[in-house]
Amino acid sequence: MSGKHFALPALVLLLAACGTTHENSGQGASTSAAACKGAAGKYTIGVSQANVAEPYRKQMDDDIARAAKQYPQFTVSFADAQQDNAKQVADVENFLTQRIDLLIISPNEATPLTAVVKKAYDKGIPVLVLDRKVDGDAYTQWIGADNVDIGRQAGQYLADKVLPQGGKIAEIRGLAGSTPAKERQDGFAKGIEGRGIDIVTTVDGDWLREKGQQQADAVFKAHPEIQAVYSQNDPMAEGAYLAAKAAGLDQKIKFLGIDGLPIPSGGIKAVEAGRLAATFVYPTGGREAVASAKSILVDCAKPAKTQMLATELVTQANAAEVYAKGNR
Amino acid sequence: MTTAEFIPTRRAAVVDTLFRFQSLFGLVLVLAAAVVFSPSHDGDLVFLSSENLFNVVRAIAEIGIIAIGMTFVILVGGIDLSVGAVLGLAAVGSAVLLVNDGFGVLPAVLVVLAAGLVFGLLQGVASAVFGIQAFIVTLAGLQVARGLARIWSGGQGVAIAYGDGPGEAPVAFSLLGERTFNGLVPIPAVIFAVVAVAAIVFLRTSAFARHVYAIGGNEKAARLSGVAVTRVKVLVYGLSGLLAALAGIIHAGQLNQGSPNDGSGYELDAIAAVVIGGTALSGGRGSVSGTVAGALLLGVLNNILALNSVDPNVQLLIKGLVIVVAAGLQRLRPTP
Repeated sequence: MSGKHFALPALVLLLAACGTTHENSGQGASTSAAACKGAAGKYTIGVSQANVAEPYRKQMDDDIARAAKQYPQFTVSFADAQQDNAKQVADVENFLTQRIDLLIISPNEATPLTAVVKKAYDKGIPVLVLDRKVDGDAYTQWIGADNVDIGRQAGQYLADKVLPQGGKIAEIRGLAGSTPAKERQDGFAKGIEGRGIDIVTTVDGDWLREKGQQQADAVFKAHPEIQAVYSQNDPMAEGAYLAAKAAGLDQKIKFLGIDGLPIPSGGIKAVEAGRLAATFVYPTGGREAVASAKSILVDCAKPAKTQMLATELVTQANAAEVYAKGNR
Repeated sequence: MTTAEFIPTRRAAVVDTLFRFQSLFGLVLVLAAAVVFSPSHDGDLVFLSSENLFNVVRAIAEIGIIAIGMTFVILVGGIDLSVGAVLGLAAVGSAVLLVNDGFGVLPAVLVVLAAGLVFGLLQGVASAVFGIQAFIVTLAGLQVARGLARIWSGGQGVAIAYGDGPGEAPVAFSLLGERTFNGLVPIPAVIFAVVAVAAIVFLRTSAFARHVYAIGGNEKAARLSGVAVTRVKVLVYGLSGLLAALAGIIHAGQLNQGSPNDGSGYELDAIAAVVIGGTALSGGRGSVSGTVAGALLLGVLNNILALNSVDPNVQLLIKGLVIVVAAGLQRLRPTP
């Protein structure tokens, strides 16, 4: 058994509990006016990302970094919550102690991040919320796309162009319990309503290529009559394509994805190469966020509360063009 | 004893003491580094600001509480991979009971704690009575707990709103959601400190604790000398489940939500805290105080890397290296 060396940790806890307290100093939402120091100012922007391991979110960070390079006044620091709400709360709190001038956050989930986003906003720090929302309205601007609408467009495209006579399809969902998985499912169901399209099976692919492949292996064994696969993101669609290829069904089945990232491993290239029939761009909002940051901090403007981004249908006809646009 | 023998013995004793306090020295080292590398605002070190120190202790409270249960399990030579999932299950349970089922705070907390305890005890029975390896039992337990959490929550995060009406949780529970109490004391850190002190005292004074160390040191010998090995092991897993459930309740309060995906990967952070704290994975040697120091070390390390805006990818490398170094130092420690 060990000695009596528990004194110091206890002391640290105690110290932490008794330190000088000057919390909640800048109360009151005196937002953008105080933050704006014009073109001559220097600004630190904190970017709190939910999970950089997801290609979409990596792309968002990259878009922010690239767009911020245009403005020498901006220093951007990135934090990665690794898909953990608690870690993301801590990340934002660390940004607050660093006294950032503006917060860009893409929340892992809405409710758990609401309180800390409000805390930042109440301190007078402009907050740009990307992709997923927070509850209430204690933020400066939300930038994102409508997952329900994208799901609906995917459903309509399938009904109009891929299976106009109706038919049997499989759906591969993202992570069960996540908001976009539900929204993309609900929207899609609306899009195919009354069009004679039968979702034979719905499986969970957790947003992952390998999981999509495994699930599709089983789906194609059980339902070889399937004519199309609606996958809630491109990596799972690619996984399903590989499974179909292994089963000799890849010429017979059409694949739809969502996300359309302009990277070599992304959905646009997969559409261009003919593996996917179509994908729908889910914009990251990274560039738009930096543009908003510039207008808030440098131009002292007050941006609109909501900035809705439009999706774009990617087919073989326009894939090369969309890809180039995304890398400009 | 001659003088010639005495000197090396004393040197060995010094070395042994050094290693015993290793996690503490590590913590002091990291603390010193944190002070040195801390950014400053208007001459004040950011790291030492009260707000930042609150953040550090609050951030480690959940992992710390789990890690204390994990310490007991590892001391008997076991492992509990289910704790992160049990935390998620408990967070979901708290939210569902309070919001959907109209439970009061105390009944909800008691039901959730009991659920965690029973879950742990069942794993203990599977491992100790039926002799299935703890690694496998608790890996299966991880899956079962996640599945239960998904079913219980309907597959979605359950938001906790406060009020008196139906579908609202009693306002009393929001005390756990307060980031700090009276603007001074972070509630989760207080709970962690209470659990830690209780565990340290318990581990230093109780007969049960002596049995824990005896089993971890040599299970056969412990059995032969009359220790109720099976009973102790089952109880230890029960304790781990109980503490994971406690952490889950705090998690739900802190984040205003119980989500079936909560706490994933926390088991690894907890194991890291235990190992950095000097507890041997083979069992029989270690302490809760070391684990507390280990959890603090990880928390301070996380904090100072974040305050310096170190690239998140590089942060992973640094944290990995620290864990390996700490575990490596353990191997150098002379066996008594």
